[in-house]
Amino acid sequence: MRISPKLIRQARQINNLLPPLLYPNRSLEQAQLELKWITEELPPNQWVQAVKRRSLYEPLQYILGSQPFGDLDILCRPGVLIPRWETEEWVKRLCNSLSGQQYKILDVCTGSGCIPILMDHLLKQRGIDSNIEAFDISPIAVELAQENAKLNQSSISFTQNNLFRVRDLGKYDIIVSNPPYITKDEYATIGKSVKLYEPQLALIGETEFYEALVHNVVIPSECHSFVFELGNQSQADIVQSLLPHWNIGTMKDSQENLRCVIGSKDKSFMTLCN
Amino acid sequence: MLRRITPVLRGLRRYSSLEFDVPEIHPLLLKRAEVMKTQIKDLEKQIGDGDFDPELNKKFSSLSYIIEHYDNYMKDKENVEGLKHIDDPELIEDAKEELASLLPELTKTSQILQTKLLPPLKHSDNACILELRPGVGGSEASLFTKDLCNMYINFANHMRWRYSIISEQESNSGFLNEMIISIDEPGSFNVLRHESGIHRVQRIPHTETKGRIHTSTSAVVVLPKMSSGDEKSLADDERQFKPGEVRIDTMRAGGKGGQHVNTTDSAVRLVHIPTGIMVMQQDERSQPKNKAKAFSILRARLAALEREKEIAEQKKLRTDQVTTIDRSDKIRTYNYPQNRVTDHRCNFSLHDVEGCMQGQRLNDIIEKVEQSEFEDRLQQLIQGS
Repeated sequence: MRISPKLIRQARQINNLLPPLLYPNRSLEQAQLELKWITEELPPNQWVQAVKRRSLYEPLQYILGSQPFGDLDILCRPGVLIPRWETEEWVKRLCNSLSGQQYKILDVCTGSGCIPILMDHLLKQRGIDSNIEAFDISPIAVELAQENAKLNQSSISFTQNNLFRVRDLGKYDIIVSNPPYITKDEYATIGKSVKLYEPQLALIGETEFYEALVHNVVIPSECHSFVFELGNQSQADIVQSLLPHWNIGTMKDSQENLRCVIGSKDKSFMTLCN
Repeated sequence: MLRRITPVLRGLRRYSSLEFDVPEIHPLLLKRAEVMKTQIKDLEKQIGDGDFDPELNKKFSSLSYIIEHYDNYMKDKENVEGLKHIDDPELIEDAKEELASLLPELTKTSQILQTKLLPPLKHSDNACILELRPGVGGSEASLFTKDLCNMYINFANHMRWRYSIISEQESNSGFLNEMIISIDEPGSFNVLRHESGIHRVQRIPHTETKGRIHTSTSAVVVLPKMSSGDEKSLADDERQFKPGEVRIDTMRAGGKGGQHVNTTDSAVRLVHIPTGIMVMQQDERSQPKNKAKAFSILRARLAALEREKEIAEQKKLRTDQVTTIDRSDKIRTYNYPQNRVTDHRCNFSLHDVEGCMQGQRLNDIIEKVEQSEFEDRLQQLIQGS
């Protein structure tokens, strides 16, 4: 879609830095907000550079270096997936539904560490004891996750590990994960700023991650429940077929998109399904 | 019966020119007490006739409580006055001693009487939220709205009040559309609520090339702040509403979502279904922060609505036509060529536009408005009871 010269003229009248921001934002209003955030969070000598980077579709989160996630701020850096609001939403729902005394939780493919850090924060608020561990295959991600834990005063241990080769896992109560779930076909159609700047390693996956999660993590860890974020129905189906004796359900996000597959041995997590 | 009409209790204590401070009550308030005295006689008669009505009894006991204090006050005051006029040098020392013991008593009764006759205003201890929007006059109205914002910010600085800008929206042409300022000083609502209304400006705008004087307006709404509007207050704010009472919309782009897109859109829109009030917030990058701010504004607007309703009901009870300020009336004119700021509610003109816009002289105007409102309301109380 082309941006009309009239809109560009209008933007220039407000601020010279505004027209380039129209390309990634498509609307003047959102462009104005982004410019406001850039000028608020960065020193003036970086504004021009920041606007230039953003006009080339670089995610604003990489430029500003962070993304709000729940009440927290999560640091973002190229090479690691930026936390999404959908993830934030289900993590909050999950934490609000937990009512036990103590949980041992494992997050697989943790990326920036946003899921375990927010869970730790929310469960602490509710007075629930938790012992959370997390791993990721990417060393850059593990390093960033550790920084994020430090920034948000969280004592989660992050390690580097490969989901497909993981051995000798401990025992956990709950497994959570946001594995790569965009299929190769879909990858061609996704947002420009995602495709150009976010790591393929964290994005592309069909059903292999869900198979590995079930075989290498869910079964050996003897957990009683899990929540995995996903992108399409076939990923939920594979989980269902691999765990025939479990209660398996799916959850939609507030945009009515299929977002999670949820499983539990008892029926405790089934209230999250819709 | 006591009405919940609540003028400001400022200037009630005047000081006598003599060596003792005698607490005074506004003469109109005393007149109201006199009216109550005649009322209680009627009531006594009704109760004496044998009709037992709990409502009547309640009214009677509240009235007699006030009148008891009123009588005490009058008696003490008489004593004090009498003692003050003693000139005899032999007695003056005794008189002084007696005065010293009487005065604290008098102060106490007068304070009780005042609060009983004039209950404090609802939300008067709260902090406040100012909402400013341009009215008629196009871009000049926007410029003036911006000037008004600066005036209130200057005023807050002048009063040493903490403030923060909750949101600032510009139209597509870059002019101010809406500005919301939070003044975090407890009790600031009681001062700034007088600012609610239409402000009119008459001046030659910067955008005018032929030197003509334009008239434009700007609307100011002052709301009592009910919560701090951060993440901590959010849970409490949400609990104030029944499930389904508030619809929360987030403006997320369509499509597959999740890892497929990466959006910076964090706008939140609240719709209060019973009243149709809509609040939109998008200034923060964090959606929970926008939500918290939106809830805080929603609660403030609802509180203001409730207050207006109450005042309207009280007005309805009264038979006389009351000249109070409607939201649609202009309350003040800022005339730059004549260097004059006129408040239309009390017909007071301040000949110092610059001082007013700098926030230093604004208080002068507000005090005048307060005073005239106080007298108006008292008058109404007396006529109404």
